[in-house]
Amino acid sequence: MKRLEGVELLKYLCQIQGPTGSEERVAAAIREQLSDLDRIEITGDKGGNLIVAYTGEHHAARVMVSAHMDEVGMMINDITDDGYIKFACLGGIDPRVLCGRGVTLMGEAGDIPGVIASKAIHHQTADERRTATTADKMYINIGAENKEEAQKHVAIGDSATFRAEFYEFGNGLLCGKAIDDRLGCAVMIEVLRRLVDGGVKLPYDVYFCFTTREEIGLSGAQTAAQSIGPNVAIVLESTAVADIAGVKDNSRVAKLGEGGAVSLADRSTIYDKALIDYAFDTAKKNDIKAQIKKYISGGNDAGHIHKSGRGVRSLAISAPTRYLHSASCVASAADFESIKQLVYAMLCGGKLA
Amino acid sequence: MNTELLKKLMTTQGVSGGESAISARIRDMISPYVDTCYNDDLGNLIAVKNGNGGRHKKIMLCAHMDEIGFIVTYIEDSGLVRFATIGGINFTAYSYTAVQSSKGVKGVLVPEGDVPAGSITFDKCYIDIGAKDKKDAERRVSVGDYFAVEPSLTRLMGSRIAGRPMDDRAGCAALIMIAEKLAERGCSDDVYYVFSVQEEVGCRGAKPASFAIAPDLAIVYDVTRTGDTPGCKPMAVKLGGGAAIKIKDSSVICHAQTVGELIETAKANKIKYQCEVLTAGGTDTSSIQMSGVGCRAAAISIPTRYIHTGVEMIDTADLEATVALTVAYIGENK
Repeated sequence: MKRLEGVELLKYLCQIQGPTGSEERVAAAIREQLSDLDRIEITGDKGGNLIVAYTGEHHAARVMVSAHMDEVGMMINDITDDGYIKFACLGGIDPRVLCGRGVTLMGEAGDIPGVIASKAIHHQTADERRTATTADKMYINIGAENKEEAQKHVAIGDSATFRAEFYEFGNGLLCGKAIDDRLGCAVMIEVLRRLVDGGVKLPYDVYFCFTTREEIGLSGAQTAAQSIGPNVAIVLESTAVADIAGVKDNSRVAKLGEGGAVSLADRSTIYDKALIDYAFDTAKKNDIKAQIKKYISGGNDAGHIHKSGRGVRSLAISAPTRYLHSASCVASAADFESIKQLVYAMLCGGKLA
Repeated sequence: MNTELLKKLMTTQGVSGGESAISARIRDMISPYVDTCYNDDLGNLIAVKNGNGGRHKKIMLCAHMDEIGFIVTYIEDSGLVRFATIGGINFTAYSYTAVQSSKGVKGVLVPEGDVPAGSITFDKCYIDIGAKDKKDAERRVSVGDYFAVEPSLTRLMGSRIAGRPMDDRAGCAALIMIAEKLAERGCSDDVYYVFSVQEEVGCRGAKPASFAIAPDLAIVYDVTRTGDTPGCKPMAVKLGGGAAIKIKDSSVICHAQTVGELIETAKANKIKYQCEVLTAGGTDTSSIQMSGVGCRAAAISIPTRYIHTGVEMIDTADLEATVALTVAYIGENK
């Protein structure tokens, strides 16, 4: 195994197929990247979550750090007589980002490429041109001549993901599929390495949870939290931003390059005020960029975690990400770095619990 | 009914997620009647009166102490404050009203000038605290601060009162009144008075509180709407019609045997009651019912007109009936 670091690690993780419900390959890659670390204990649970325990000195509390492994994708729900693949979306995908996109289908006999097709503009009626085609009217073309040929490669229930190159561009920007939330996974891997390599002694036990099925209702994190029973949780996410042309400043969620976006509240959670303050104090003390996620929208694994068991004080730190849930998510390498430093500093600061 | 107790509860702010002040106030008020008080990790206030009998079943009585409000998200260069909503805000009711922050800063909530009355949303509104510019505003307000509409309490005809937040300080008042009566009379079972957090954003607090307590029986005290005003959806509950024993709402079907026992108790003790079927809206009852291994859950609601406005109206006789019914039920039965 080659230990991959920084953007190389993120690129490696993003290019793995891991649609909601089929996260096994991501879990295997994470296990592999952690395989040279001692002092940790890796377990997988029945829901597919990967839980990595980093035991502290005093066991004063249990801290759960979580990021989800799954990405938005598609699931095959029908194959037409002429060999076209009909699908349903796994997670919320704007149908406008589907059309014309390359996809990789995960068939039992192996992965095969395909393309999401719909009627060419030349053949559309005036009405059709004005309205967005919905996903149920689209199909994936895998080049099969008929149903029988298609069935040699894929079956109903198989999943697919966007097929997209990962690349760097502009001033430290990163573009690719699945940045939501492989970026959070990469942060956890690198924080774990820094803890283990440095022989850091923490006053509490930390459970790094790589969770499943976030994109269809946060179900992996729910069972992980129930089995760990943490006192405190830090959720690492990607958040949609609106720092784009045409959006007024008061409606912009967060800015790329300004550091991890710490949530006040979203549709699933009101975050713990003391933890929010601790995050900003830590950032200030260590000269790490961080910003407030100032628009109340979305939701993440914290939604289930904070209500689990006897209640869990929760915090969310998100990488500001443009064009979320598309084949071309855009995040900033500097934010990736800031989040790593912030999470590490918060764990080492000892004031989480 | 003396409304001083209710007034004390209504004039202390506690928007969902920022309940520390109201929690401290309630703790002061209920501590003479209980053995222990503590807050859990999410902020739920739990006051326990140990039973004097041998059976020691655990009874959880729950009312939420949070209220709907606003959270500051952004301060404009002009010093005007932008916010997001916490809980279900009705902007027809809340436009052009006086508001107050958790730190005591006064302001007025105003919609942008060119927004038609029917289509006001939170991102088309701002709070004007009278600041000259952003720097001036930042002296008093920070992103993340809470605001709520100013509390009020007006005595109307008979035993009716209007103001805010009746939802659910009326329920909190019921719990404190029950605690006082049960402390006087004694109770064989352990009673857990739970003042839950974050009900208004999806009944979040009661779930972990109930998980930790693992009660044998839970009763929830919250407001419910009525069907006795012009233009409202039909509903059998009336203001002044007595304690509303909940059969179901959109999140829960109450434990049938407990519902039956509550009705029998009301009849036997000549306490005015009515049955409630709420077709839209949920309560902590569902969170509690499904928490942990589950428990018997019921609810007694206080009929309230104009919920989630500045003029939420109750009949204090209904509140007194709610207290009387609970005291009679817990005494004779459980």
